[in-house]
Amino acid sequence: MRFTPTELTIDERALQLEVREFLAAELPPGSHEPGLGMSARSDRAFSKKMADRGWVGMALPKEWGGSDKKAVDRFIVVEEMLRWGAPVGYHWVADRQTGSVINKFGNDEQRERFLPSICRGEIGFSIGMSEPDSGSDLASVSTKADRDDGGWILNGTKIWTSSAHTNDWFICLVRTTPVEPGGNKREGLSQVLIDLKNTEGLELSPIPFLNGEHHFNEVSFHDVFVPDENVVGQAGMGWNQNTTEMAYERGGPDRWLSPFSTVEQLLRETQGGDLERPVVELFGELTARWWALRNLSLSVARLIDDGDAPSVESSLVKEMGTRFELEVIEKLVELVDHELVSESESLFQRLLAQCVLTGPGNTIRGGTIEILRSVAAKGLQGLPA
Amino acid sequence: MTVDSLITETASRLFAEQCTHSAIQLAEAEGGAPGIWSAFAETGFPWISLPEEAGGSGGTLLDALEVLRLVGYYAAPIPAAETGILGGWLLASAGLELPEGIVTVAPGSRADTLMIDGDGNASGSVHNVPWGRHAERLAIVRDGLVASIPVAGAHVEHATSLAGEPRDTLTFTNASSDRAAAPAGVDEESLRFRGALSRVALMAGAIEKMSQLTVSYTNEREQFGRPVAKFQAVQQHLVWASQDAALARMAAESAGRQANRGDARFEIASSKLVVNQAATRATKACHQAHGAMGMTQEYELHHSSRRLWAWRSEYGGVREWSNWVGDAAIEAGADGLYPLITGGSNL
Repeated sequence: MRFTPTELTIDERALQLEVREFLAAELPPGSHEPGLGMSARSDRAFSKKMADRGWVGMALPKEWGGSDKKAVDRFIVVEEMLRWGAPVGYHWVADRQTGSVINKFGNDEQRERFLPSICRGEIGFSIGMSEPDSGSDLASVSTKADRDDGGWILNGTKIWTSSAHTNDWFICLVRTTPVEPGGNKREGLSQVLIDLKNTEGLELSPIPFLNGEHHFNEVSFHDVFVPDENVVGQAGMGWNQNTTEMAYERGGPDRWLSPFSTVEQLLRETQGGDLERPVVELFGELTARWWALRNLSLSVARLIDDGDAPSVESSLVKEMGTRFELEVIEKLVELVDHELVSESESLFQRLLAQCVLTGPGNTIRGGTIEILRSVAAKGLQGLPA
Repeated sequence: MTVDSLITETASRLFAEQCTHSAIQLAEAEGGAPGIWSAFAETGFPWISLPEEAGGSGGTLLDALEVLRLVGYYAAPIPAAETGILGGWLLASAGLELPEGIVTVAPGSRADTLMIDGDGNASGSVHNVPWGRHAERLAIVRDGLVASIPVAGAHVEHATSLAGEPRDTLTFTNASSDRAAAPAGVDEESLRFRGALSRVALMAGAIEKMSQLTVSYTNEREQFGRPVAKFQAVQQHLVWASQDAALARMAAESAGRQANRGDARFEIASSKLVVNQAATRATKACHQAHGAMGMTQEYELHHSSRRLWAWRSEYGGVREWSNWVGDAAIEAGADGLYPLITGGSNL
């Protein structure tokens, strides 16, 4: 394991400046309600504007509507969007992982069908991994796909599916071959694509968040037909594909920037005032730690561009980054020292209230920190993850 | 800009051979390790980054910091930072002669009383001076002048850091010194930042060593019929220590690269802060994973952990540097905060 420091090139800095100018023009501070990193609002018009700049699916090949850019270019666009609290929700999953999975494992017909519309910011994806009885032990998924003429018949339930009620497509991990007694659970899994808007036998039910908001859904399949052309890659190879997908998902700026807009807003609202030393020290500590974490996370993106698959490194960064996010929230709460009201006139206090309510999810979503530690610990001891 | 891999290889080989557990133990008992120092000095390593025309070994600041990282990794009991990028740098910058022996600096203590009069005569005390008792010269910068004071005539009072390394009090009485004007960029503030940068490099090496030591110890030590590293509760310590090792090395190398280019105050301040915190967390995790064995003198963990406890409070603790970075953040303002994090001193 080795993280090598890296700096941005002149072209990369030019991109950073372009994104900052775009955001200052499109969403000047005060004109929008910033979100908390990747939990930001879904706004199709904003996704379209980003796509017009070539910033959605930017690492995908030009042939399929992408820009042939690097992981570091995407890192630059994404970090600026997240720190701004920009409404990136609609294209988020497709841009971060599903586009890459279809490009890497899909066939040309699938690339043609999905990638250009992903890059135009016109398609929102949800992910179907967890099930009522399968969470961290993902290989135990039991949504069953039975062979049928020209496709598969699905029965089972996916859970914690973010935004399935507003998105268009669903990429799902399902069992196409039953596990023999004593067999390897990681075999016989497949990734399939399901149209969330036009599929018979698909049932969505909301699972309200603890504050009543609707993000999560339960998605049930009752004899849902999935045609062969919607199976991504090789049937039975879903576990390996899924592991690759999770490497795209981990270690990026979305794992350490969630409370940034809150801290920035605190600085905005206290600016010009005479700050007590503990407040100055807190700004100092958070700034320094963000600087160091960003350098680690950026070096992972550079490793990916150099052709490495830094899965241990990205697990370490994600574990550390999401724990840091919770620490930021705790420190802010200690600093504020009075009651929080979700409807406060202060944007900082509204954001902090939201941080408190959603924070515990940061170290759970996309793989709990306990699972990440176990991946990292095996990597440290030279064992297969 | 990268480090010549030959430097890493040669220094690693030298330290691996010289800095054995018993050699470091002996250095502590005797208050120094002249043998290790002379083997180190023979290679010219102490004077890397000081120009050859000034009597240095040439090379870049990055090369010198890589050597310091290895000094930290192998817990080499030698005044490498003081003789090189701190004291040696002061003397060479001002065109003063580099002595053959050890140079040290006064890290700056509230109790210091040292004054230098108009004729260059030094009187008074400086405290916590690394390897003061072994130094040939003390290098001082103040009021636009660099002074080189021979230590031979000083009264030396022995004191030691938490790692058992000399941190002496030197008292001078009318000692004559060589003086020269300090060029731009060489002053009390820049020495403090360089001091912090030197500690960051040393600490990055020590945390990495400690983290590796803990992985191998917990894989050998068996309880309940299997290596303790197989227990998730122990794995958590291994993961957290390796994160801190990675974080510290990244911070140290990022700050070093920026310092090699120019103004790096933001990066140095930030790195000292995060590496201090990393040292605190990692020593806790590694000691816990070692159990009672880590608390003994016969086992080598303490060479790393005690050095980290000493270095984290040298050249500024978390409070000093969080105030510095906090003031920079407030000056940058809300709109400038993220650009500060990404652009640092280049902003």
